[in-house]
Amino acid sequence: MILRADGLRKLYGEFCALDGVSLTVGPGEFVSIIGPNGAGKSTLINILTGVTRPSAGSVRFKDREVAGIGPVRLARLGMARSFQLVQIFPDLTVLETLQAAVVSRLGRGLRLFTSLARDREVQAGALEVAELFGLAERRHLPARHLPQGDKKLLDVASAFALRPEIILLDEPTSGVSTADKTAIMETLVAASKRIGLRAIIQVEHDMDIVFAYSDRIIALHQGKVLADAAPAAILSDQRVIDTVIGRRAVRG
Amino acid sequence: MQKIFNLACGSFYALGAYVGVSAVAWYADAGGPPALFVVPLALAGLAAGAVGVVVERGLLRFVYDRDETFQLLLTFAVVLMMEDALRMIWGPSPRSTSGLYLTYGQLQLLGATVPVYNLIVIAASLVIALSIGWLLTRTAFGRIMRAAADNREMAEALGVDMRRVYAKVFTLGTALGTLGGALVIPATAAMSEMGIELIVEAFAVVVIGGLGSMRGAFVGALVVGVLRSIAISVYPELEMLLIYLIVIVVLVLRPRGLFGAAAA
Amino acid sequence: MRRGLALAAATAAVAAAPLVGGTYHVLLMLPFMAYAVVLLGLNLLFGYTGLVSFGHALFIGIGAYTGAFITSRTTIRSLEVILVSAAVLGALAAVPVAALCVRYVKIYFGMLTLAFGMVFYTFVLKFYRLTGGDEGTPFLRPSLLGLGLDAMPKIDYLTGPYYYYSMAVLGLATLVMWRIVRSPFGLCLKTIRDNPAKAETLGIGVARYRFVAFVISAVYAAVGGALLGPPIGNVDPTLAYWTHSGNLVFMTLLGGFASFFGPVVGAFVFIYLQNWVMSVVPYWRLVFGAILALIVIFAPEGLMGLVTRRRPAPAARA
Repeated sequence: MILRADGLRKLYGEFCALDGVSLTVGPGEFVSIIGPNGAGKSTLINILTGVTRPSAGSVRFKDREVAGIGPVRLARLGMARSFQLVQIFPDLTVLETLQAAVVSRLGRGLRLFTSLARDREVQAGALEVAELFGLAERRHLPARHLPQGDKKLLDVASAFALRPEIILLDEPTSGVSTADKTAIMETLVAASKRIGLRAIIQVEHDMDIVFAYSDRIIALHQGKVLADAAPAAILSDQRVIDTVIGRRAVRG
Repeated sequence: MQKIFNLACGSFYALGAYVGVSAVAWYADAGGPPALFVVPLALAGLAAGAVGVVVERGLLRFVYDRDETFQLLLTFAVVLMMEDALRMIWGPSPRSTSGLYLTYGQLQLLGATVPVYNLIVIAASLVIALSIGWLLTRTAFGRIMRAAADNREMAEALGVDMRRVYAKVFTLGTALGTLGGALVIPATAAMSEMGIELIVEAFAVVVIGGLGSMRGAFVGALVVGVLRSIAISVYPELEMLLIYLIVIVVLVLRPRGLFGAAAA
Repeated sequence: MRRGLALAAATAAVAAAPLVGGTYHVLLMLPFMAYAVVLLGLNLLFGYTGLVSFGHALFIGIGAYTGAFITSRTTIRSLEVILVSAAVLGALAAVPVAALCVRYVKIYFGMLTLAFGMVFYTFVLKFYRLTGGDEGTPFLRPSLLGLGLDAMPKIDYLTGPYYYYSMAVLGLATLVMWRIVRSPFGLCLKTIRDNPAKAETLGIGVARYRFVAFVISAVYAAVGGALLGPPIGNVDPTLAYWTHSGNLVFMTLLGGFASFFGPVVGAFVFIYLQNWVMSVVPYWRLVFGAILALIVIFAPEGLMGLVTRRRPAPAARA
């Protein structure tokens, strides 16, 4: 049991974004959260990653209550995330972005007088992640000069550079051309094996990707969990097909 | 409304003051009856607001899309330029309207002697405040202003020409500042440092009352004015110090001030 | 490296100035060096962390008044003691101010720092029995490295030993700041500047880093402030007025906040330009206001930005 949410509720004034959502993620699992727009996926991710406080319910990470402790402490505890609208450091190079993550991981953020350039662990760590994600060649480019797909990769890569135990990806392939999507997912899976990631949660709209990679799928609808099962079971769940997937048959 | 913290509004106040002095002096020379001196004073104050157009069209509109810091720095540039411009035009020594302050006589009010002029100014500011309120809530322009303040892109999408709105709003704001400066002249003297000294008071008013709220500005001004008077009579050294401390407290406890919109 | 050569040449020029330059110009170098120290610190906050303080003159005031009090109220004259005391007091004052201000961003941060700056100004102005009010407090000639140089004529002292002492302080300050900026800490500051939300998800506690950056910048400002005192011989409240803080930001912008040496260049240009303009016409603020407006509108990266214009992005791939 790595991550566990119980009875999460989130109210924005009168609007109920989440209405009693519970889920668990165990070691080795790749879980996808699917659902139509407005189902509460982003809210759920924000609560799980400590950005938002739930109105009710609890979140336990590695058997600690973590609801609302904030992203900084969660990152230290071993949880990382990427963003739906890609988030980068525009004026930092690819390498610097990754170095920052490694610095944070190694707890060296408050070293004021040592040279970053001569810190071998940081340099090696950052380079390793860059290579894992195929960004090594462009590592000296400022992040804002990267093409959109690479920015996405960088966003995810910097989360990986934290060597987290669990990572939450908010639409990792959105805004990316179909040809690149598989490439990104493959890179992701390979990288997660390399760094010993214990679980992945993703929010994803592309059903092909979802069914190709997930161990388990959680379908959200109007703030509630509609279904929580393996892909095969989900495929035969009529409610899910009606509300989320759509009627066109999904290939294997 | 424009979400710019205009450091130069103090400078416009000072401009109004100087223009007011000149207008009154000209009026006195032209032989106008002293009882009506308030008229050229107020008119001159309003007219000086035209400077707002120049500043807005010539400078500010280039930086609306930039980071707030740059907007702030640009208004700081205006402050610098105005300080010297005022000195250039009117000279370095303070100017005043000498005896005209007591033209309207004085009144005994609640045991204190109050120059009638003060009452006139108070009345005028009430009228102005009410007119602004009316403008904002009852006229089409007022509604556009409030909509634009709330959500600029939406207003633009609805066909509002933001440049013209901004120009008008800024000029209006400037005119109010210059008018205020002019009206204050009989009670004090016009000095080139007026602008930079005023801005800290104005800033206190806005913080306490809340950015972006007219009611807040009114209340804030009242609060600051009253506190200053109390402080001056009780413990003079503390006067502005008290104000700043309150500003800090307000910023910490309730950053949006008493009436302000939700913090950015 | 071109930059290294430029730096070496500049250092040599500064070192040689008292030997070849006219007294007047050499004396102008003294406030330049003091402001350079201040700005190195301010830019840690501005260029590297993304926070614009409109109240940093507060710490200049603290540093200057520390030196003034020490020299005129005690028998201590050692500039080393003064500088260290200024640094310590600057840090102490910065702790509560920073703790409060770093939770706010952009305009609220600017306003809060402005308010604190004016609190200090008003305090120093009004409590004249303590501080001399608007007449200020004298800052008597400090001894350098234990050598009491009171016998020297003032000009010789200022263009000689004091000049090189200031240069040494500036050099040391530059070295330290260079290390800080190239450290893991410096990198974290830049992440906070660029995208605080993302920095947090990487485990970088934004408020804490801003706090440290603020305190460091305050220490630099205080040390610079202390250096400003001796050439004038007197320290008064205007050092802490908000327009003085505004000028600091102006200098930083002028030189270029995106570069390490930008603010130093800015200080140099500001001081010399101001001096030159004032000799021609007393309305330097008019000119400078116009310059600031032009910079903000057309060249926000400052002089260094104009000099090292970024190479255009790699040809369209998106």
